[in-house]
Amino acid sequence: MVVVARHYSGRESAREITVWDPLVRLIHWSLALTILLNGAFLDAESKSHEWVGYIALALVGLRLVWALIGPKHARLSAFPPSPVRAIKHIRAMRAGDRTVYLSHNPIGALMVYNIWLSVIAIGLTGYMMTTISFFGVEWVEEAHEAIFGWLMFSIMLHVAGVLFDTWRTGVNLVRAMINGRKIIPEWHDVI
Amino acid sequence: MKLRLWPGKTKERRATILAGLILLQALCALFFIGDVIEDFREDGHLDNPHLLLESVAAAALIAGVVFLMIELRGLLSRMSDMQIGLEIAHGHLAEVIENFFDEWNLTIAERDVAIMILKGLDNDAIARVRNTASGTVRAQATNIYSKSATDGRAQFISVFVEELMAGDIRSGNGRGHASMPHSREKPTAKDRPAL
Repeated sequence: MVVVARHYSGRESAREITVWDPLVRLIHWSLALTILLNGAFLDAESKSHEWVGYIALALVGLRLVWALIGPKHARLSAFPPSPVRAIKHIRAMRAGDRTVYLSHNPIGALMVYNIWLSVIAIGLTGYMMTTISFFGVEWVEEAHEAIFGWLMFSIMLHVAGVLFDTWRTGVNLVRAMINGRKIIPEWHDVI
Repeated sequence: MKLRLWPGKTKERRATILAGLILLQALCALFFIGDVIEDFREDGHLDNPHLLLESVAAAALIAGVVFLMIELRGLLSRMSDMQIGLEIAHGHLAEVIENFFDEWNLTIAERDVAIMILKGLDNDAIARVRNTASGTVRAQATNIYSKSATDGRAQFISVFVEELMAGDIRSGNGRGHASMPHSREKPTAKDRPAL
């Protein structure tokens, strides 16, 4: 009885909650693709490198608009850039708290802003290199490359963070970014 | 629990298509904006008709993107309303069933069998799930029907279906579970035939 009834009422068992809407997911993976293309495959001097860079900029711009008018979990208010919250989250984690955040967790949120800002900075310095007044100016080029290095480092941290949080909370975050749903294990609280 | 997926299916596909269109259209807008900027850098004039046309196209595309985004937002919020309504209905249905079982004084084993009957399993399948002889299940089923004053499987199930349909007609004043918010109840009750 117990097992059947519990499965049946869907109350005490694991919950599946839709968190990432299709636009968020599409932008996420498109942005990953543009970074991969420009970082690893396209010739840095080529026209296509420029266009892929602008596409990355447009994707971040689109995501920012969506963060203002989109649904609950996609909004900026769901993951404010707050170091205080991040520190609280670290303390809670070390105390063994396994609360699941439906949107980004506070540390993940900081990473989101970091990656967006990095992409914007790379895009802007990249654009500057095509203008007459900044063409061949050394610091612009150096900044472009240095920030790209920072972005690579950030992405490694991002992936490590996703794997760590998946292991820690038991919520498969990669899957959530693919089909949009987080499966929350039964014993976890949700924010 | 297959129920959980059905409200979305077509809407989910629509949302995905809408998101894809937003992305594509945004990239088209990007292309036109880039072209306008490039032409302007080469030419320095904003007044030639070609540039003007391109600017209008870019503006129209951007407006379209924003409009589609608002549409998508509306669609997504309708989807989540439906999901919430469905979850409330799930919870309430479970409650209703429990109440009936209590009223009929079903034993624990009989409750188990009754739920499987409601789920559409036949006696042999129930016997296999419960690891008992099918004769035992048949006896338990007979008990259930006599305790609930029904004459068999179909009528037994109809007790619950009737309860759900009654909620629609009497707009939520069914026995003992009127706490369900009216706005939530209407669409779920109407969509229930998919059960």
